[in-house]
Amino acid sequence: MQDARLRILTTIVLSAGAFISLYGALATLVWWLLLTPRWQALPHPRILLWVMVMIAITSLVSELSGGEGFSYMVRMIAILLIAAWAYSQRQDGELLDVSVWLMGKRIGFDIGLTAEMGMQSLGLIKQDIQQVRQAMAVKGMKFSVFSILPLAANIVMNQLRRTEEMAKMLTVRGYIRGGEIEPHFHTARIDYLLALSSLLVLTTAILSYY
Amino acid sequence: MRMEMDIIVARGGFQVACQASFGPGVHMISGQVGSGKTTLALAMASLIPYQGRLDKEGMGDVLMSFQFPEHHITASRLDDEVRSWGLDPEQVLPGIGLDDRRGSDPLHLSRGGLKRLNLACVLARDPDLLILDEPFSSLDCVAKSQLCRAIEDRKGKITLLFSHERSVLPRVDTLSHVEYGRLIHHGTVPGSIAAWQGAPPYIRQALQSGARPENITHKDVREAICRMRD
Repeated sequence: MQDARLRILTTIVLSAGAFISLYGALATLVWWLLLTPRWQALPHPRILLWVMVMIAITSLVSELSGGEGFSYMVRMIAILLIAAWAYSQRQDGELLDVSVWLMGKRIGFDIGLTAEMGMQSLGLIKQDIQQVRQAMAVKGMKFSVFSILPLAANIVMNQLRRTEEMAKMLTVRGYIRGGEIEPHFHTARIDYLLALSSLLVLTTAILSYY
Repeated sequence: MRMEMDIIVARGGFQVACQASFGPGVHMISGQVGSGKTTLALAMASLIPYQGRLDKEGMGDVLMSFQFPEHHITASRLDDEVRSWGLDPEQVLPGIGLDDRRGSDPLHLSRGGLKRLNLACVLARDPDLLILDEPFSSLDCVAKSQLCRAIEDRKGKITLLFSHERSVLPRVDTLSHVEYGRLIHHGTVPGSIAAWQGAPPYIRQALQSGARPENITHKDVREAICRMRD
């Protein structure tokens, strides 16, 4: 899906549809199966398994304590799959484009810039984790509960340092608020189809709720 | 002790092939920035996947020093960082002038300081196979010369030196060059020096003037030029 505006809208609509009702979640899963690259858009199998296990445990606890555990599990899985699809489609700079298009060159630029920096940080944290794993392999360190805390602290400290450097760089370049950018979007026909079909999913979810 | 390989490594749309055999000694592997040296080094250290055969016969400890020393950091204090290598800070830190900073955060060191810390740790472990990825980067001339001596002192062990260093180099046993996605093995020195594609300018100039150095250090090149004049 090339148009970031329609993709973000679709993600919000599908997530809302999946959250509202079990049928909405099932319709979202059907949408994901039919209209996305499916497995190619998923995170690393180990990460996916870890998240799925956490959802399953929460669902089981909810079900055993009289809640709607099964419904929660299906809805969370649907939201997770849609989020993974949206993340896999993301291009650098598009959040800034969408934000400026939506809210203008002052507040829109600021929010977009913050969002872009947040996404960039996620990528850097992913790299940090890979590097720590390589460093541990080189040193022959075993992964344990005791090693997680200092490693996590290091990753957080690294991120804080980068944030400080970025803040200094923006200051040096004269950033105060807002900025000049002309957002450009390319909309393919399939983008409209995906967005419209997501509205059908939301409609299904709302009708089944009532 | 021997390392033999016939591998292809693919990483981020980039591919590099290597067919080589390395015995005890220092093996210089040159190549331009972006030629695939780091990819190859990571594969040789078995840190990234590869296709093919990679045998490390008779080797116990295998270590790699990453190009960016901050990528090695797993502790928030200098002494704990040294301990994470299985070493005693009392023995490592004084040698690199960091004894008074043992409680400091390693990431507060300069890039050069961090590099010296990392190299001191990997050299102190004295592994059977040591893979050094751009070990000279961020070091001043004095530290580079000290590193050269430490590399040369690793008798009976295998040292793979991935570098595009152009000025300060240690005495080596073989020369190889990474180009166009594959490792080209030139052979042992001094016979391979003339064919070495990654030769720095001071060696190229000496070769053009007819000198035939015994090895790749400045001293060897100077001696070769002196022999010509005699």
